[in-house]
Amino acid sequence: MIKAIRNIVDYHELIAVLTWKNMTVRYKQAYLGIAWAVLKPFSLMLVFTLLRSFVNIPSGNVPYPILAFAALLPWVFFQESAAEGVQSVVGNAALIRKIYFPREVFPITGVMTKLVELGINVLILAGLMAWYRMMPTAQIAWAPLIILYTMLASLTIAFAGAAINVYYRDVGSALPVLLSLLMYVSPVIYPLDLVKEKLLINRAGGDWSELLYVVYTLNPLAGIISSFQNVVLRGLPPDWATLAPGAILVAIALPLSYMIFKRAEAYFADMI
Amino acid sequence: MAIIEVDHVTKEFQLGQLRNLRQTLLDLAARLRGHRVAERTPFKALDDVDFRVEQGEVLGIIGQNGAGKSTLLKILAGISTPTRGSISVRARVAPLIEVGAGLVPDLTGRENIFLNASILGMKRVEIAKKFDDIVAFAELEEFIDTPIKRYSSGMQVRLGFSIATSVHAEVLIVDEVLAVGDVAFQRKCFDRMEEMIKRQGRTVLIVSHNIRQVERMCTRVILLEHGRVAFDGAPQPACNLFYEKNDQKIRSQVAMQAQAGPKRSFVRSTDLLLTDITMVNEAGERIERVKFGSTVLIRLLFETKIPLRDPTFGIGAHTPDLLYVANDDSILSETEERVIPPGSFQVEYRIRDFPLLPSVYSLRVGVALKNSDLALYYGENLFHFQVYDDKTSRSRTVNQGFVSFGGTWSFQVPAG
Repeated sequence: MIKAIRNIVDYHELIAVLTWKNMTVRYKQAYLGIAWAVLKPFSLMLVFTLLRSFVNIPSGNVPYPILAFAALLPWVFFQESAAEGVQSVVGNAALIRKIYFPREVFPITGVMTKLVELGINVLILAGLMAWYRMMPTAQIAWAPLIILYTMLASLTIAFAGAAINVYYRDVGSALPVLLSLLMYVSPVIYPLDLVKEKLLINRAGGDWSELLYVVYTLNPLAGIISSFQNVVLRGLPPDWATLAPGAILVAIALPLSYMIFKRAEAYFADMI
Repeated sequence: MAIIEVDHVTKEFQLGQLRNLRQTLLDLAARLRGHRVAERTPFKALDDVDFRVEQGEVLGIIGQNGAGKSTLLKILAGISTPTRGSISVRARVAPLIEVGAGLVPDLTGRENIFLNASILGMKRVEIAKKFDDIVAFAELEEFIDTPIKRYSSGMQVRLGFSIATSVHAEVLIVDEVLAVGDVAFQRKCFDRMEEMIKRQGRTVLIVSHNIRQVERMCTRVILLEHGRVAFDGAPQPACNLFYEKNDQKIRSQVAMQAQAGPKRSFVRSTDLLLTDITMVNEAGERIERVKFGSTVLIRLLFETKIPLRDPTFGIGAHTPDLLYVANDDSILSETEERVIPPGSFQVEYRIRDFPLLPSVYSLRVGVALKNSDLALYYGENLFHFQVYDDKTSRSRTVNQGFVSFGGTWSFQVPAG
């Protein structure tokens, strides 16, 4: 793992250049350019807001559209960076067959590319907050750390997924489906408070309620989304209790995922 | 201490279909139930390859297609991992394996220089410093801000070569890159390679099918054959051995072709057929190996359905890559008029002091009617033969052409 971090430091220029290449190639001949990055979270926000006019979704004292957008921001980043990371090795087959550098550069570059797009969406969020006359508090300083943690969660999927995808392309096809299902068990459409209320207060799961809640929060996105909303919109500190189970999971799974990647790496050029 | 050590390296590949997830799961289930799963036989691309390269050596790696050259380079460049054995490279390696790998069509030349040089391991500062040189060498000053998808393929390769060779590395791995661009640019590439090898004393590994180039540039050559090192040593004997093996291969391929079907011919009519072609030596024996300088008779057996009025026969020899090296035509050497009636007939052509130097050649034959440009029959690759000589070694002839002057020497030396 230490070697992994040293590699990232050694190859940070290459990661930067490859990220810049991904962005340039993707948006060079598109009229709207990088504005396309905004399309997905923004349109989903509109759909959710429309949905909310039929179904009652509580949003506390924060306007629902901005609450949804603040949930979609880390969610879309996670989903897209994991998918991009998984495809990154197969997608760079030509390079992999011809030049050697540590292959983790590819999944990391995939995640970094999406980080740039996240930056654009942060601007939109800032615009929305200005529109609703919301001032962020000092708690917003936590936001970069939450995003960093989201990147680690994405890489957990990306490393193992990218490696397995080289051998079985099934992974690349299955992942987007699984990830879009994951959205429904993450507090994206609805706020986490709703889950807390149902399970911890109304005890909808009976004796299993507490356990079910822990299982729910094993999904790192539960903690990420609610904490992101806390520090950006509500002026509250991160939601430590919700973050903990997911963080433990990532702390165990990320090194494993990286090991799988490094084990498989040696055969990428032969298999791809 | 050796800069590169290749220690008993073996590389195996699984032959056959790619495995899908379903097959893997089925096999796994079968194994769990104690059944035997059909194992596929591995193919050995490299078989116990073992050598060392010292600092400053220029090592050529030659061999026929599929001998394992590219696999070896890939392992040396760190792209692929050996199945058994180990490899250690104690220096920075610049792989010039297929220049232009990683050029992005949508980006401009300028952007591609930064991208590609970064991929090859150069730092940003270093690239900025060398940028002008790279552009100048590739002769792309005017086009540097144009997306390279608008470049001609020659321009793209020039850019790729220019970037790749500006990477500073102690070890260069070169795979067939010298054949880029037009002749003038090839010359420049060649000079740059020589400059890097001879003056900067870098260690270079070259894989090439251009044996002449290898023979000229390398200090040592390894001949690979079916994944094994067949020869490791001085360039001259290595290249000679390669030529010999190549000749054998061509001959055996040709023999198979001959068995497989009709001879290759371009013009055939049902009216005139070449039914047999043989070479005979002075003793009257049929031969396929011709001794240099001997007398040879070529016999052509034809069958015609129409009467041939004043036919002209042509016979020629060419190399396996269709370079015409010798020719003769009956219109030049004989003027007698004749009509050949329908049926089979034989034509003989005698060559005294067979002038072709040792190598592998083929015969071509054409028949036309006098005063007509239209051929009745024409075929190439009709009969394959090897020329050998007891006196001269292969190495003396291979770079010196195909035909002997056949003259005589005399020396006016002051008596002393």
